[in-house]
Amino acid sequence: MQLREQTPYIDDNGFTQRIIAALPLRRLTWLRPVLLLGSAAVGIVLAIRWLPWSNLPPLDMSAVLSLNPQVLSPWIVVLSVTASLIWAVVSAVLWDD
Amino acid sequence: MTDAELIARVLTREDQHAFAELVRRYQSPVRAFLTRMTHGDAHLGDDLAQETFLKAWRKLHTYRGSAPFSTWLFGIAVNEFRTVARRRKELALEDVNETVVEAAQPSADSPSGLRLDLTEALKRLGSSERAAVLLCCQNGLSHEEAAEALDCPLGTVKTNVLRGKEKLKRWLSGYQPYEST
Repeated sequence: MQLREQTPYIDDNGFTQRIIAALPLRRLTWLRPVLLLGSAAVGIVLAIRWLPWSNLPPLDMSAVLSLNPQVLSPWIVVLSVTASLIWAVVSAVLWDD
Repeated sequence: MTDAELIARVLTREDQHAFAELVRRYQSPVRAFLTRMTHGDAHLGDDLAQETFLKAWRKLHTYRGSAPFSTWLFGIAVNEFRTVARRRKELALEDVNETVVEAAQPSADSPSGLRLDLTEALKRLGSSERAAVLLCCQNGLSHEEAAEALDCPLGTVKTNVLRGKEKLKRWLSGYQPYEST
């Protein structure tokens, strides 16, 4: 089988240059997790500043079972914001393009 | 610098110079493979080769290093060819008209009769046999590597290489290279 010998080397003739010129812009793979982490950091600062940490009503089993919105609503807000921030931080840290 | 080191530089630093070196190393075999797969259409072969390298740039993070980089690259090239072959049925021809092949004569205006005949004979192989023969016999991939590049079972590759080589030998047995004077 003389196939390999019968295959001449193909000169580049600008082929590589054309490929490099056609490459998409830098993928900026770091940008998305950095934005996510930055947003989470801002969110944490705002949460510490604005959430009613000192005014949260006491939460015991009878209060939970009563489903009293006046008791539960502040806690739901606090838990939702905290969970969102934790999710954002974990996503940013574990980000894989 | 090894392929692995160049790939690492591309992945960690988006280093276009490192990627350019990879392109320079593999442009010739990839372009030759795709030109032969497209029945000698160098323009189409180059277009597919360009798409192959651009896709390699975008998907380089999926290369795991379990096989040589060339195998991974040929896998992309095969997929690019298949995409075009689906639109252009003549490229995906699987049935070989052996009567036509055996009636073919070497061209007298070729500087190398054998080369032309080999090229012509390759055109008449089905695309699966042609791809398997080109990967294993032209580019030196093992059967296992060719199976990975072609995304088909090892046995199929072995059969296609064997059948393809037998056909080529039979078709070329009556031809001799022109002696240079």
